[in-house]
Amino acid sequence: MNDMRITERNVDANAIKIAARNCQVYYGDTHAIKDVDVDIRDKTVTAFIGPSGCGKSTFLRCLNRMNDTIDVCRVEGDIRLDGEDIYDAKVDPVQLRAKVGMVFQKPNPFPKSIYDNIAYGPRIHGLARNKAELDEIVEKSLRRGAIWDEVKDRLDAPGTGLSGGQQQRLCIARAIATEPEVLLMDEPCSALDPIATAQVEELIDELRQDYSVVIVTHSMQQAARVSQKTAFFHLGNLVEYGDTGQIFTNPHDKRTEAYITGRIG
Amino acid sequence: MNDAHIVSSYDRDLESIQALIMKMGGLVESAILDAATSLETRDEELAEQVRKRDAAIDALEEQVNERCALLLATRQPIARDLRTVLTVMKISGNLERVGDYAKNLAKRTGVLVHMTPIEGAAGAIRRMSVTVEGMLKDSLDAYIQRDAELAEDVRHRDLEVDQMYNALFREFLTFMMEDPRNITACMHLHFISKNIERMGDHVTSIAEQVIYLSTGVMPDDMRPKGDRTSMDNVEIDG
Repeated sequence: MNDMRITERNVDANAIKIAARNCQVYYGDTHAIKDVDVDIRDKTVTAFIGPSGCGKSTFLRCLNRMNDTIDVCRVEGDIRLDGEDIYDAKVDPVQLRAKVGMVFQKPNPFPKSIYDNIAYGPRIHGLARNKAELDEIVEKSLRRGAIWDEVKDRLDAPGTGLSGGQQQRLCIARAIATEPEVLLMDEPCSALDPIATAQVEELIDELRQDYSVVIVTHSMQQAARVSQKTAFFHLGNLVEYGDTGQIFTNPHDKRTEAYITGRIG
Repeated sequence: MNDAHIVSSYDRDLESIQALIMKMGGLVESAILDAATSLETRDEELAEQVRKRDAAIDALEEQVNERCALLLATRQPIARDLRTVLTVMKISGNLERVGDYAKNLAKRTGVLVHMTPIEGAAGAIRRMSVTVEGMLKDSLDAYIQRDAELAEDVRHRDLEVDQMYNALFREFLTFMMEDPRNITACMHLHFISKNIERMGDHVTSIAEQVIYLSTGVMPDDMRPKGDRTSMDNVEIDG
């Protein structure tokens, strides 16, 4: 059993990428996230699990300030990316989101060509000086998104014409085109079939070499398969956070156990 | 906190597997006691029954393995449910071995009834069997109650069995040296007592599974061990 935990022990040596302290989120009068403290490590896949409405997606969205777009939403506390407060007035949320990319539950390619889907981010962030460099970024991103071979001959075709699994990998390729440091994934496989799911999971494992990946998932098995760290949220609290192997074989908190084993908590 | 799964058929699956283990445990317990009784009362018929009944224990083990494989494939149990399935598989293996030893005891009874009895041996073996059967009963109770403390107690009681075996080992050696005509019977009796000592080890392993099941960690401290016969040497005068 100890051998199985080698990767997990190794990730403990990785630097802390995101540190959240006393994080609170309110939607109007509703206290959606209560006092969450968590350290998310670099080059590690961290899974957020918990029942619907437990706050895991809300918390994920705090990490790249996606909640700023919701008027009634108020975020308090301290969230630091590489030691810098991401809610500081000096921080430009658009720049932040280039560093902290996001992939959503439903594939949402732009109604543009496959090429332009990828090129959009690098263009607005000025990452390419000329067409050749942009071509290179597009190819590299599609390759890393494990979809290059399937689309290389039809880069001008609309992204929306791809299958669901391909669209999701296109969105992942789009998210990594701006060279983010953290990738947030909000149930990236819930609309995919098992084969596309396996391809995305394989991709997540590869992305871990370079990025810190945070994934929200409703599939216990997926969390167990892809992550090294797991955080269990319940009613807005972070109940338990630990090595994935420990959470799934011997959870310390009764609520975690009741949830992951499919008992009424 | 409600202990039931949201999917109630999951609970029924787990319960039915555990019911098989309990059934197996009951059969093994009576096999141990009946085999020892058959030796003491020189009851060839009872010995024959014990031998025949072992097939039912083996069949149950197979059934447990099949059900566990199916449950793993269909429900992907985790945490305590996973530990339940893992321990059930190991415990059924242990029970099957104990059943085999009881069957072997019964087989040797079939030979021993036709020989001159060795004084005191059958009684001592019966006491040893009763001790092991008591440990087995408690370890299965500990399993059902998820009682790590009782399991820990069973683990430590194995020392008693080891000491009984040591004493018998020396006694049989003495009998054999006194009169070579005792050798055949004493060899059989020695194998019987060694097998009962091994039963104790399997029961200890069941107790350890109970500790793992209820706490999530295997006990790692060394438990007291008393079988020193592998280092014994008896000088023959002469």
